[in-house]
Amino acid sequence: MRQRRIVTGGALALAAALLVSACGGGSDSADSAEEINTSPTGDGQTLTVWTYEDETSAMGIAWKKAMEQFTEETGAQVDFQLKSFEQINASASQVLNSDSAPDILEYNKGNATSGLLSSQGLLTDLTPAVEAYGWADKLSESLQTTARYSEDGVMGSGNYYGIPNYGEYVQVYYNKDLFEKYGLEVPTTLDEFTAVLQKFKDEGITPLAESAQEYPLGQLLYQLALLDADRQWVTDYQTYTAPADFHDASWTRAANTLKEWVDKGFISKNSTGQKAQDAGDAFTAGTNPIFFSGSWWYGSFTTDAKFDWGTFLFPGAKLSPGSSGNLWVVPENSDAKDLAYKFIDITMSPEIQNLMGNSGGIPVAADESAITDEKSKELIKNFTTLTGQDGLAFYPDWPTPTFYGEINAALQELVNGTKSVDEVLTQLQTDYDKGVKEITG
Amino acid sequence: MIKGQGRAGYWLYLVPGAILLTVIIIVPLGWNVYLSFTKYRGIKPPEWNGLENWKELFHDAEFWASFQHSIVMVVAMVVLPTVFGLILASLLFDLVGRRFDGKIAGLLRAVYYLPQILPIAIAAIVVGWILRPEDGALNDLLDAVGLGGLQHNWLGSPDTALLSIGAVMVWIQIGYPVVVFMSALQRIDPQLYEAAELDGANWFQRFRAITLAGIRPEIFVVVLTCTVAALKVFGPVYALTRGGPGTSTTVPSYYSYTEFFTAQRVGYGATIATALTVVVLAVAIFFVRAQFRLVDEEAR
Amino acid sequence: MTAQLMDDEKTTETRAPQNRRRRRTGLEWLALAITVLVAVVMIAPLLLVVLNAVKSPADFSAHGPLGLPTEIYLDGIKTFWNAVDFPRKVWNSLLISSAVAVLGVLVSVLNAYALGIGRVKGRMWVLVAFLLATIVPQEALLYPLYIMFKNVGLYDTIWSVVVVFIVIHGAFGTYLLASVFGAFPKELLEAAALDGASRRQILWKVVVPVCRPTLAVLAVFFFIWTWNEFLIPLSFLVSADNQTVQVGIATLQGERIMNVTTISASALLGIAPTLLFFLVFQRTLTRGITAGAIK
Repeated sequence: MRQRRIVTGGALALAAALLVSACGGGSDSADSAEEINTSPTGDGQTLTVWTYEDETSAMGIAWKKAMEQFTEETGAQVDFQLKSFEQINASASQVLNSDSAPDILEYNKGNATSGLLSSQGLLTDLTPAVEAYGWADKLSESLQTTARYSEDGVMGSGNYYGIPNYGEYVQVYYNKDLFEKYGLEVPTTLDEFTAVLQKFKDEGITPLAESAQEYPLGQLLYQLALLDADRQWVTDYQTYTAPADFHDASWTRAANTLKEWVDKGFISKNSTGQKAQDAGDAFTAGTNPIFFSGSWWYGSFTTDAKFDWGTFLFPGAKLSPGSSGNLWVVPENSDAKDLAYKFIDITMSPEIQNLMGNSGGIPVAADESAITDEKSKELIKNFTTLTGQDGLAFYPDWPTPTFYGEINAALQELVNGTKSVDEVLTQLQTDYDKGVKEITG
Repeated sequence: MIKGQGRAGYWLYLVPGAILLTVIIIVPLGWNVYLSFTKYRGIKPPEWNGLENWKELFHDAEFWASFQHSIVMVVAMVVLPTVFGLILASLLFDLVGRRFDGKIAGLLRAVYYLPQILPIAIAAIVVGWILRPEDGALNDLLDAVGLGGLQHNWLGSPDTALLSIGAVMVWIQIGYPVVVFMSALQRIDPQLYEAAELDGANWFQRFRAITLAGIRPEIFVVVLTCTVAALKVFGPVYALTRGGPGTSTTVPSYYSYTEFFTAQRVGYGATIATALTVVVLAVAIFFVRAQFRLVDEEAR
Repeated sequence: MTAQLMDDEKTTETRAPQNRRRRRTGLEWLALAITVLVAVVMIAPLLLVVLNAVKSPADFSAHGPLGLPTEIYLDGIKTFWNAVDFPRKVWNSLLISSAVAVLGVLVSVLNAYALGIGRVKGRMWVLVAFLLATIVPQEALLYPLYIMFKNVGLYDTIWSVVVVFIVIHGAFGTYLLASVFGAFPKELLEAAALDGASRRQILWKVVVPVCRPTLAVLAVFFFIWTWNEFLIPLSFLVSADNQTVQVGIATLQGERIMNVTTISASALLGIAPTLLFFLVFQRTLTRGITAGAIK
């Protein structure tokens, strides 16, 4: 009987709570105007930090060191929690709107993620902290794009809502052993690249490791479209400053090239059944000698590939998929904001940045002479080349929250041949327009 | 029936369950119905927009296509597991258990149930290893036994993706009916089988006359619960294909999930979820009525 | 396990002793072969999990998921154990699953007593209402429950998850038990009533003891189902200290990269407790789901 009463009581309280709460939202952002204390003391305090990077990754290693240094400098403890990407992705808005929000967390850059949350008032405006610490000087222009969001949550302008401390980009990984075996050179133009693909095909090897179930093929399509696009094209596509036309010369050529490569056997039709991991495994196993994908693979190839390999930027490309890495964001509900800013600043310090570079990551503000590992140097040099020519073109799926799945779905149909090039482009146009309309109203 | 007490007193026993149900299910469901008439992105308060979501739903080809895929799921999660489950359970119980060894029957039953213990996210990774087109276990196996011509891009081709998920679901589901049916079979008087055997009835005749008739309540339970599960299946699609290739494997629940959490169009997600609830509810009412009618007839 | 097997054997032996003396036919051997073959198909994927849990990532990429490990590599297991504070997650999962198993069965029994034995008026519609809990897609519950839980301070506590699954799994239990109680031997009830037992006494002294095997089956189902739940724990258990094993396993799957062998290791560790639980309790699954089994 007693048990029943307790259950009843709890239930009524729950029901009452639902009636009372119109909605969870609403946050007062009055405190952003406060002075930023750049040397906060944190004795007896705890900074809760969430990330979803593997502890053994370059970022994981560097951030761990940053946490130690943070405790030394401020006296505050760090409560570090490793989260799953999936959890942050599915429930960020709910978490940040509650008392369980951390003081600082790693979060995805882009309109659909950080942009959406900032526009809903869940993230702290970091502009005062950026000024106080001078972070803007450390970040190149194209890296800052993903740190700033307008009132509608569209990246590229407005206040700072996140600070990136590493970069990432997409390039070509190639199997040096196999290139040598068939007497091939690193291609410098698209024609040379195609010739290399043809050569491997002639030798009975499918040259490209690909996945159409996940992001790799979409990024290749985007890279092909970028070959004869300019910065304005990218800005229009990513921030809706002008209507995107999927039947323009860039997209049409990209889709046709992709289709041609499938028909010629440069890309296996099996890629529709492969995940990104399967494509990465195929490259690591030496099955396919070329893999066009992100710098995030670098670490696992370093430890797992049993052959000599190298990297180069896509031949002939001025623009390539890439961006800042994920952002540090500070929830509006954080109660240790000064400490959170201090922590960000430590991750931007030369010591931590160099450690990241030497661990196989791409620091945004490293001292290049301090990077000792040869392969790491190549990785960072390519990135510097790209940012130097203002070449970070972000990712194809960023414009709308659902475009990632939609690109994959459309490309699977392109590879399978269930839709023609034209139909695929029309499909992409429809999906893109629908998503953009949802955002811009 | 029980002296001095009317039936009304039994209502008291429903109180805790009913309160919990109201708070955890009914109220949120009502809230969802409300949300289906709003535009809501999950944080700022919902804005009323009348029938917009419902109009969109009725013209949404992807939604209707996803319901067609549910039919395959019903075959894979209800029809086949129930049929195979019946056959396997009675083979184990009636044949392996009695003619060979109870030990073997018990062990096999435990093994059949194992996939149910495996979390779907993990099962999906393993299934990926088996079905992936290049060096996947299934294609390698086909090649090894000289059937290389049958090799296929199982999850990547529109003609086999949905069927492959279906096959995986049969594998996952089958343990449940086997366990339920086997324990139901214990209730059947073994002398019935012996008598039938002496009368010269073969295995199939015994199966039909004794087994099927004897465990009818469990068949209802299994069919209804599996149908509900099949109509709202989500995990396997999410983990294996994300609805692809193209949209050839989307199911309603996956579609509503992406609207809720990827597109952050909570209002439209709620519309899909509400529509799905109505359909599943109708199916459930149909089954429960049939079951009650049958029980009443038997009672007469 | 051994005890269970002995148990099975005893049952069959007392039931059909003369049957085994007859010569087994070829057809019967074939049937046995089929059931064994099915078992092999069922268990093979689990063996793949074990195989890859003890493989190094380099080994995995060189020889694929099917190759035998060249050496036993336990770092994956160690990494997972430490990265997610595995003992803590097991404790949380254990607590949640056990609470749901016990309380869920309790609620099911109370409901089913009114529906199956009490045969209250309109019981079909009451049953349908309870079934709503299994019918509503889980994703539809997340937003409303989030707001409710946050307001009563249950958000980010394991009790939020416990309450939800008592209702969801309890609905299944209610349906199953109501069907079972509907067939409860009337003589037993009438005899107890003649002895002057009250309604409450009849439930606890007659119905529950007689149906104990069925209740045990339900408890096992509830425990395993709750252990494997993902979406709701993922949404409501935010802090690392409150998370379940399933949510912990997911932390290993990054945004773009996953370490396959560590995931296999986590899978192995993740299913070990349920596997153990299942092997210990699977004997209860043999016992009747229905009250009719007890004569």
